[in-house]
Amino acid sequence: MNLKKFFLTSIAMGAALLMAGCGGSGEGDAKSGSGGGSGGGDASGSGGGDVSAGPSGSNEVKGVIAYTPQTLSNPFFSVIGDHLRAEAEKNGYEVLMVDPDYDVKKQSEQMDDFIVKDVTAIVLVPCDRIAVGPAVKQANDAGIPVFTVDSKCAAEGAKIEGHVGTDNFQGGELAGQAMIDALGDAGGKVLVLDLKRANSCVLRVDGFKKVINAHNEGRTSGIIDIVAELDGNGDNTKGYQSTADALQAHEDLDAIFAINDPSALGAYAAVEEANRQDHIKIIAFDGMPEGKQAIKKGQIFAEPIQHPDKMGRQIVQLIMKYQAGEDFTQETLIPATLYTKADADQDPDLK
Amino acid sequence: MTKLDFGKLFASLKALDYRKLLSDYGNVLVLLILCVVMSFATVKEQPATSPAAAEELASLVLSENGKGAQVMVLVRGGKKGAGPKFAKNLERSLEEVGLNVVANVQGSPRDSRIALRDHPKDQPLAAVVTDQHIAVFCAEQLPGLAKENPALAQSKRYSPTKHTWPVFLKIDNLRNVLKQIAVVAVIAIGMTLVIITGGIDLSVGSLIAFSAVITALSIDHLGGTDPTTSHLLLGSLAGVVACALIGMGTGGLVTVFKIPAFIVTLGVMFIARGLAFLCLEKPNGLPIGNEEAFKWLGSGADFGLHNSVVLMLILYVLAHIMMSRTSIGRYVYAVGGNPEAARLSGVPVKRVLVFVYLLCGLLAGLGGVMTASLQMSGDPKAGNLVELQVIAAVVVGGTSLAGGKGKIFGTLVGALIIGVIKNGMNLASIEGKKQDVIFGTVILIAVLVDQLKARLR
Repeated sequence: MNLKKFFLTSIAMGAALLMAGCGGSGEGDAKSGSGGGSGGGDASGSGGGDVSAGPSGSNEVKGVIAYTPQTLSNPFFSVIGDHLRAEAEKNGYEVLMVDPDYDVKKQSEQMDDFIVKDVTAIVLVPCDRIAVGPAVKQANDAGIPVFTVDSKCAAEGAKIEGHVGTDNFQGGELAGQAMIDALGDAGGKVLVLDLKRANSCVLRVDGFKKVINAHNEGRTSGIIDIVAELDGNGDNTKGYQSTADALQAHEDLDAIFAINDPSALGAYAAVEEANRQDHIKIIAFDGMPEGKQAIKKGQIFAEPIQHPDKMGRQIVQLIMKYQAGEDFTQETLIPATLYTKADADQDPDLK
Repeated sequence: MTKLDFGKLFASLKALDYRKLLSDYGNVLVLLILCVVMSFATVKEQPATSPAAAEELASLVLSENGKGAQVMVLVRGGKKGAGPKFAKNLERSLEEVGLNVVANVQGSPRDSRIALRDHPKDQPLAAVVTDQHIAVFCAEQLPGLAKENPALAQSKRYSPTKHTWPVFLKIDNLRNVLKQIAVVAVIAIGMTLVIITGGIDLSVGSLIAFSAVITALSIDHLGGTDPTTSHLLLGSLAGVVACALIGMGTGGLVTVFKIPAFIVTLGVMFIARGLAFLCLEKPNGLPIGNEEAFKWLGSGADFGLHNSVVLMLILYVLAHIMMSRTSIGRYVYAVGGNPEAARLSGVPVKRVLVFVYLLCGLLAGLGGVMTASLQMSGDPKAGNLVELQVIAAVVVGGTSLAGGKGKIFGTLVGALIIGVIKNGMNLASIEGKKQDVIFGTVILIAVLVDQLKARLR
């Protein structure tokens, strides 16, 4: 019986690992296709011949760029990843992408594994801006440069070589301006769906409020009044719940600002359920396909959009500058741009 | 004589009960097989950076450039990086064979660029010897640099040869595996006891967060941003004791009110997680000061292994002794086997139950302190879904969810199996969702085998 146990277990493990092996090698094949092109013409020229016993740089991958975002199930981070990969492969580097699923412990362990693999550089979207610190310091100790995208690392003593993100405050200001356009001279009562645990989202609300407060200054009529700020958790479910509750408390709500697309779509579901969709205007943030689609359908009024494609490419460009030993500006903030129904109607990506 | 000895040996080998052996240590074999498979799955060409490889490289440089030639060593830096170690060996080997090492640069590509740019223009540099990272830099940038600095015009580039070796079997990686399972394995001791008594504890993941937050808050209150070692110890104690008290409360509810453990701990799970968030103003982790001292437990390594791993091993030995040599251990098994019979034969069933939940809470609290030390902060999001990993470790380790049966060391092996699978899959670059599928499959197989074993016995 026990022999049976042993065999069963080992066969099953073997099968599982075989699957694992296949998955791994398949990915490897996909990657190794590119990366040959750019390393080519180095042997000729004035710099002397290449007598190296090891990598000659001609046909080989130059190194590995490892990417650990908050999660890959959020399209925002996978779009960054896709463009990061495309740009890295253009430059002759392989990309290793992993998913910590919002868990900073998992993310730290992934960083441990990157160090063991001795990667060229790490691109990180911290799951927690403080708790990821020790993992970053370990990478620092191993001599591996760490770059952040979207969110920053705020741990003391953790060295980040470069950062590319959205100018969230400026994006929030755009959202505020869009809100003023949406409500017109009449003004109205506004619900804000925030996500306080994400610094980027706090900045969006700050920028939004700055514009709204400036608008209200010295006005007696047509004031835009933020009547509630509730947690939208950045997701559809919580966005729906919080909005449904707010609609009970404020029957005369006129507009909603949600800090990202999923919570805005949740808010729309609640508004639709209360049959107020003709009156309540929603301003969102992000620019995911779902959000743009909702703008086209008129469910969302307008939203400042981020540019994850640019983020993915620009972070690799920073890494290339680092690799070449050149000087570069440590922080690049990409401005958000406002996306309205007029843009959506002409967007070739939407059908 | 020798013939006789062989005969005896053979006889004793024959007498061994292989079935029992496999039943008792079957999962050790599984672990070994996994390690072998992971080794094969992660075989990769890597640069050879051993002292021998450095010597080999040095003699190559000598043979092509002659004695007294000027060479520069350029590697990627980092306090504990592989580069500086290699550079040290390299410099020694190069000087031994009579080459003139003009600079040994350990840092970023920028540092290498500066060193090359500033090399005296009238002294031709015969060769640059690099690790694989700076090799890429030199291949791309040396031609350009040579235009500014004529001394580099004839410089040849050398980098280490490659050898093939499984990434999984690198010493650093094996140490990582142990470090990564330490928290789960420590809590799994308590969980094993709880499960042997026929219960379950779903709250341990949340207790990790609760303990980490209480620890960070206490340290913050006691010592602010610059706490002393005694502040750190007191704060950690507060975290552990708070969780032990919660564990005792759980045990009380389970025994006095006879509420199923699943329900009680489900409630505690939500309460502890919520409290962890409520204790802090922001949902970000609360940083802990005095890094040098506090990181000792989580990422310090005074004995070759990480300190958290040493603590884990000590706790396993203690728990093994408790379960096999003391009356409390026998009580735990008795309560799980048949509580009514245990009660009738004089086992203090209620006290034993409260004890196991208290111990489980206490160890979860300790796990929280370890996590706080690893992350240098009290993070209310910490320990998410760790309870499931802990239960998986216990179950894979051969403890029956029906209660009454289980071995402490089986749990350690179970935790190792989980750690090896996760680490190996990461190293083999398997995508996250596929990892989940494989991970779940392995757990199911383990439980299935357990069931078959019970049925066939």
